[in-house]
Amino acid sequence: MRLKFSPRLISAVVVALIVAFVVHSNWGSASVTGQTIATFLVVGIALGGVYAISAAGLVVTYATTGIFNFAQAAIGCFLAFCYWQLTIQWGLPTMVAIVITLGIIAPAIGIALDRVIMRRLRDAALVVQLMVTVGLMLTFMGITLTIWSPKSPRSVPHFFEDTKGVQIGDVIATWHRIITVAIALLVAVALRFLLYRTRLGISMRAVVDSRSLAGLSGAKSSVISGASWSLGCMMAGLAGILIAPETGLVVENLALVIVVAAAAAAIAQLKSLPMVFVGGLIIGLSESFSSVYLNFGTDWNYAPQAIPCVILFVALLFLPQARLETGKVRLTKRTERLTKPWEAAVGGGVMIVLVGAWANGWIPWFSGTTFGERSAVWLGRGVGFLIFGLIMLSLVPLIGWAGQVSFANFAIAGVGAVLFSHFGGQNGSPIGILFVMLVCAPLGLLIALPALRLKGLYLALATLAFAEFTDKVIVRHPKMIDPSATGVLFKPLDIFGIHISSDAADRKAFVIFLVITFAILFFMLELMRRSRWARRWIAMSDSPAASATIGINLTTTKMAVFMLSGAMAGFAGCMLGLSQGALRVDSFPMFLGLPLVLLLAVQGVRYPVAAFMGLLGLASFPALSEVMGNPSWLTQVSLIGPGLAAVAMAYRPEGAVFYSGRDLAGLLPWRADAREEKALLDQRTRDQDIGRDDINDLGISRSFTREKVAQLDRVLSIADAVDDHPMVVSTGVTE
Amino acid sequence: MTALLTTQEVVVRFGVLQAVSQASIEVHAGRVTGLIGPNGAGKTTCFNVITGLQEPTSGKVLLEGVDITGKSPSRRARLGIARTFQKLEVFGSLSARENIMVAAEQRKAWDKSGFDPKKVTDEILEKVGIAEVSEFMVGTLPTGTARLVELARALATNPRLLLLDEASSGLTEEETEEMAALLRRLVADDGLGILLVEHDMSFVMGICEYIYVLDFGRVIATGTPAEVQANPTVQAAYLGTDATEEAS
Repeated sequence: MRLKFSPRLISAVVVALIVAFVVHSNWGSASVTGQTIATFLVVGIALGGVYAISAAGLVVTYATTGIFNFAQAAIGCFLAFCYWQLTIQWGLPTMVAIVITLGIIAPAIGIALDRVIMRRLRDAALVVQLMVTVGLMLTFMGITLTIWSPKSPRSVPHFFEDTKGVQIGDVIATWHRIITVAIALLVAVALRFLLYRTRLGISMRAVVDSRSLAGLSGAKSSVISGASWSLGCMMAGLAGILIAPETGLVVENLALVIVVAAAAAAIAQLKSLPMVFVGGLIIGLSESFSSVYLNFGTDWNYAPQAIPCVILFVALLFLPQARLETGKVRLTKRTERLTKPWEAAVGGGVMIVLVGAWANGWIPWFSGTTFGERSAVWLGRGVGFLIFGLIMLSLVPLIGWAGQVSFANFAIAGVGAVLFSHFGGQNGSPIGILFVMLVCAPLGLLIALPALRLKGLYLALATLAFAEFTDKVIVRHPKMIDPSATGVLFKPLDIFGIHISSDAADRKAFVIFLVITFAILFFMLELMRRSRWARRWIAMSDSPAASATIGINLTTTKMAVFMLSGAMAGFAGCMLGLSQGALRVDSFPMFLGLPLVLLLAVQGVRYPVAAFMGLLGLASFPALSEVMGNPSWLTQVSLIGPGLAAVAMAYRPEGAVFYSGRDLAGLLPWRADAREEKALLDQRTRDQDIGRDDINDLGISRSFTREKVAQLDRVLSIADAVDDHPMVVSTGVTE
Repeated sequence: MTALLTTQEVVVRFGVLQAVSQASIEVHAGRVTGLIGPNGAGKTTCFNVITGLQEPTSGKVLLEGVDITGKSPSRRARLGIARTFQKLEVFGSLSARENIMVAAEQRKAWDKSGFDPKKVTDEILEKVGIAEVSEFMVGTLPTGTARLVELARALATNPRLLLLDEASSGLTEEETEEMAALLRRLVADDGLGILLVEHDMSFVMGICEYIYVLDFGRVIATGTPAEVQANPTVQAAYLGTDATEEAS
């Protein structure tokens, strides 16, 4: 008999061994007694309850609308602040505040989101869905930060803070925790009742099975999606209010609950509500276990914060393989032609000239501001923007071509910066950069590995978890960044006798070096778009099933693009390190990487030039602010703007580069093709623009004319089929 | 002579539903074999099993007598199986030429005959009759033309076995005839084995040499077009009357 080990069994054993090792080597001083066990359970179950509530909201909206709401926790955060405003600031009774927050504000947000944004996303590509909801997350965070300035600390009290709670064994379970657990149970029962016993809930479940069939049998999809978004927001708010006393009323902390909720939802495979509660408990209990029994020492001080990320990663390992689905291809009526190599070269040249001229102070506008005078501060900022541009560029093949949405490239760049500070950075060796790129390439791959066989959404979750893990664990280890080290970690890079570093004197050279590198990479990507690699990536993204049936090995093809992207991000990371001189442990928070992805997507994630437009967009906020004399409203715009722009993708999914290219390419003298295309498009739009009045009384008070029939045919796109057999012989018919 | 493709008692079960039960089909090189049946009979599921997109619950798929049941879709493509899809699976953001190029370039991975993918692409564009629209993005093409792009892409892998899922839907009468002529040429000149799922009966009866009829996942009749047309069970399945009821 052949012994057959299932890969799942092997991974389960490996995971168990690793967990056992971590637990063993970090065992703290607490002994396992009735008291510690009681503490562990009381804290863990209460935490798990909150996580489950948030995750259940996530699953309800995902299951009924097909959209994973990255903004879930951010909305919860906003609602928790609303609750604080009502109770603490305006002194309303707790119950009234809860009713207003969860009964009025939350459903209003849900319905508005559904009406204005989410309905347009139903059939949108995954990339667009992700960008819009991540944009929404940043928008809600921005709004909250704008209304409630983070400078003044706030806190939400526990429920019944003054009372003692209940004695369980030797432990006192506070009323807040008891209420939390009770509410979680109530939510579970209520959801169960709603979904299985009410008409609305049954329609909601029917929609999950088949939207069109449910529609045919009388379920109103608009009511259902509105209801599920409201429900999602209410649960988000509930979780936010319950958890705010534990984490503190801090935007980042509350919005980060999304990682936890995503982990619990992944355990439930995004569909099973009972498993959501199991998932929430697993995470809550793990966290409280580590806080009661484990002591990670100073080196791994922040490790407990990464527990949800690790659980998310492990959950992804055990998800069943996604089937290659057919029939899901969305054909966009997009017309474009490939950029010619000489056009790309001219484009790269323009970038170098523009940035070079600015860096040398040859652009005469805005004189009198430090932006115009190219102060050392501004040159330093220019370096930063160009590095962000490089990171965005690294996302073009990954997200734009291969359709693999990754939020981890900023984190990879962070790891690259840290690595460069150890290898090569101290002696200005360009070889170190190569080394870092060689390490970061497989790093990109490593993140993607658990999600390669799963659908795209899980990959996005895995990269998000990695970004958080990098921030909390990797870069905080003293071996990576020594917080006690002072001074500059990097020697100037010496290229052809020119010094490149963060020194004020070297910054102009740095800017010019970066823009030249950027232009070269841009040019190479444009060439690559014409190569077999890019074709294969795009094919894989357009239809994985068809790609497989023409012999493309999807796994290796994905791996290749992750390595390319990782290496580019690694290079950007070296530059990031070099530009900062010294590295701080909190330099690479997850939330800093997200706007980069969004900015690129807003500009058009398929096009390398979008990375340049994106970096101009980044630079425009401080530049405008400087030129206009630092108005305070601009700070608020810069907080909310990037998220809001991404939300607008629900209306303009292809990105600004595409639309402006379509509308403006005809202005270039050699683009006769674009002019023809535009004329054709305008013609088609005019043709299809047929008003209700045009049809209403056709054939009653007005006769069918050949033109009207032809127009109707075009609108219904049956023109080709009926050309030979005109339905109405209208020769000679006049009004 | 071993058949080019054999499926042996393939069963596919989705929960309680048996999409395909005990389906055994043979496809021979150098002729067009038809696979017909009412909607939901399991034809597309059969295709998915043959190309490896769907793992069968039980049963085997043999290519020239060699068991390929456990092989991945891309491995099967390398062994010479290509297909088109019922619902378009074109690469919508690539041009028609690029669609075919991808497949031709991919063939380089296993076909070491030193061909030039560009030349192959041009030949196939010409052969299928879509050279005129080769620079358009496929997303902007009418459905019928996009189907031809899919066919061309399948041909670019230089298959021995070609599976066509509703090849003629979306085509005009004229195009359908051209398609039939093209398929005959492929079978006669290149010795391809073709398995065809089709709803256009005159097309099927005109081009297939042998036909399998599937209903509720079961092969209910086999034979030449004339035999199948005369078969009462087939008529019952298509007209929706219950054959057993009629018999009793």
